Amino acid sequence: MFFRKKKTASKEDYFTASHRQLIWQRFKSKRTALIAGWFLITFILMGLFAPFLSPYNPTAAGRNENYTNGAPQIPQFCDDAGCSWRPFIHGVERYRGADTNFRWVTRQTEERNYLTFLPSDGWAWHVGKFNLNLPGERFDIRAPGIEFTTHLFGVQDGYIHFFGTDASGKDILSRTFHAIRVSLAVGTIGVFISFVLALVIGGISGYFGGWVDSGIQAFTDSIRVIPTIPLFMALAAFVPDGWTAEQRFFFISLILGLLGWTTLARRIRTHILAERNADYVLAAQLCGASSGHVIRRHLLPSFTSYIIVDLVISFPYMVLSETALSFIGLGLKDPVNSLGVMLQNVSKVDVLLNYQWYFIPVPIFVAIVLAFVLVGDGLRDAADPYSEVNK
Amino acid sequence: MLAVFTLTVVSFIVFSLMELVPGNCAERYIAYKNTQGNIVTQADITAEEVRMGLDRPYVIRWANWVSGVFLRGDFGESCLRRVSVSRLVGEKFMLSLTIAMSALVLTYVIAIPVGIASANLRGGLLDGGMRIVSYLGLALPNFLLALMVMLFMTVNFGETLTGLFSPQFRDAPWSWDRFVDLLKHIWLPIGILAWAATAIALQTVRALMSDEKDKLYVTAARARGVSGTRLLLRYPARHALGPVVNSIGYDLNRIFNDLPIVAIVLVLTDAGVLLFEALAISNDQQLAGAIIFMITGTIVFINFITDILLALIDPRVRRSMF
Repeated sequence: MFFRKKKTASKEDYFTASHRQLIWQRFKSKRTALIAGWFLITFILMGLFAPFLSPYNPTAAGRNENYTNGAPQIPQFCDDAGCSWRPFIHGVERYRGADTNFRWVTRQTEERNYLTFLPSDGWAWHVGKFNLNLPGERFDIRAPGIEFTTHLFGVQDGYIHFFGTDASGKDILSRTFHAIRVSLAVGTIGVFISFVLALVIGGISGYFGGWVDSGIQAFTDSIRVIPTIPLFMALAAFVPDGWTAEQRFFFISLILGLLGWTTLARRIRTHILAERNADYVLAAQLCGASSGHVIRRHLLPSFTSYIIVDLVISFPYMVLSETALSFIGLGLKDPVNSLGVMLQNVSKVDVLLNYQWYFIPVPIFVAIVLAFVLVGDGLRDAADPYSEVNK
Repeated sequence: MLAVFTLTVVSFIVFSLMELVPGNCAERYIAYKNTQGNIVTQADITAEEVRMGLDRPYVIRWANWVSGVFLRGDFGESCLRRVSVSRLVGEKFMLSLTIAMSALVLTYVIAIPVGIASANLRGGLLDGGMRIVSYLGLALPNFLLALMVMLFMTVNFGETLTGLFSPQFRDAPWSWDRFVDLLKHIWLPIGILAWAATAIALQTVRALMSDEKDKLYVTAARARGVSGTRLLLRYPARHALGPVVNSIGYDLNRIFNDLPIVAIVLVLTDAGVLLFEALAISNDQQLAGAIIFMITGTIVFINFITDILLALIDPRVRRSMF
């Protein structure tokens, strides 16, 4: 194996390497996990740059009234009139006449509509725009941010829909990019909240031990035993109808985080229990360091890398829970696009028969979860200090 | 002992959740009457609150609820439907339980032999295929699978496969025909719930077996001339059995976790859908709380059983308990 060879070459490096370097070394030698890692990075970048990548506004503001339920438009280089180096699509028009029984139909025209790159007259998106409406005028925080109108691609005039459009004419490609962004954001906020909770609860439990530990563990076990989705459903049902999409978004992330900490807290407790009797902890305590200081400065750094691994592993479950909640209509709702919201649209037979492009977000969703699971597994194997010995 | 403690904590959490819903039962019931054309006053609401005992402090109401549940199996009254929750949920919960338990059994019937075989043929074709399946089991969530199967069947065979009963049996009393009808429908939710659970259980069994099968006692047994299936089943499999039994509770938890969503997709008439209706549509806290509590109670009970089972099969556990 690659790593074995290197070990003999520089033994010194191996013994002085930190946890993180060792994990990274082992992770690099796993091909599946590495490929999944690249996919993951791509998806994260897609989420981060969603407004730049998506040609149209994903909400109702960016809808194309003349092309509802429209099929994907594939750019082509050639048509009956010859070929061109620049990819183009054919224009569409709404038409009604005797030959269509006087019903409105959408049909293609012969006119060419060339693709443009980096057009600067698209819909406006903002970086760093921030609006916080707290009760009371004085607490409102507003930052205008910087406005951009440039996008990766567009067409000369009209619209182009790589992934087609939905029932109200919204561009599915743009919606998908934003859905990835929102789903990842929900996961990140949820993981962050559960991480902080787990750190505090697991830290206290593991550091103090004794009856504090027993009590906290019994309580944690009681929460763990309740199936999470019914609990999520119960909490999500509290959301009053009057809430805005953003409030809903934060609330859903919050409850995902508030319920997801138990497994992580347990892992942290186990780590701390194992470490707290080490000599360096005793030394710090003898020097008069407070409990908080010992946990923060001495215990946590000793297993940060393991915590990161645990966070990656718990991430797909957050995304899955959010998707499931949104799918049954208790999670995020329409103006906000998440993968769950998009999957709501595919639950009709009509869609399977006539509008297959609605299914495009499904494989993307599966790929994201799969990428996270594979990377998480790879990291876990790499973080396991005994995995090397067993081989 | 721990099981009772866990149940108490769970009941408190569930009860608090029910209380957190804005507005109480009396207000909601009166508001409902209001829409029916009756004019109600604040005095009516107060009278209704007193009748329901809502004027008493939180902890006392919780104690009442818990004692009712534990001693008499009485979950109180449904907020809107004015029927005893036990009667409303009873049969539907039994259906859910049947589905979940069958899925659990199916999971282990598949996972244990395939997991053992796959650990033994590590690196082979079966092992590779199994890994792909188990990753897909994680990444392709149950509700998506249910949706795909349903759409596929509808388009290709014209049969929707949704629901648990054919229309003529939906409200009929139990009979042999109704049971047969149930069997015709119930295999799909069971299979779908077992799919994801099997994926995870397979990984557990495989990991445990591959840990055990290279240990010295197995080598020693092989040196004594034991080989093949006999070797696998007599030595590493027995060792791996303990943790597998331990994981049954978590697997049941996972199945119950997925049940409501799958039930909604497949339009089953079980407790999962009732829970969803109670939460999303009628906002019926009593009903929702009772269902969550029943589900959790089942899991706690199964955990208790597996603990006993573990003590029975593993002398080390038995000795540490007494």
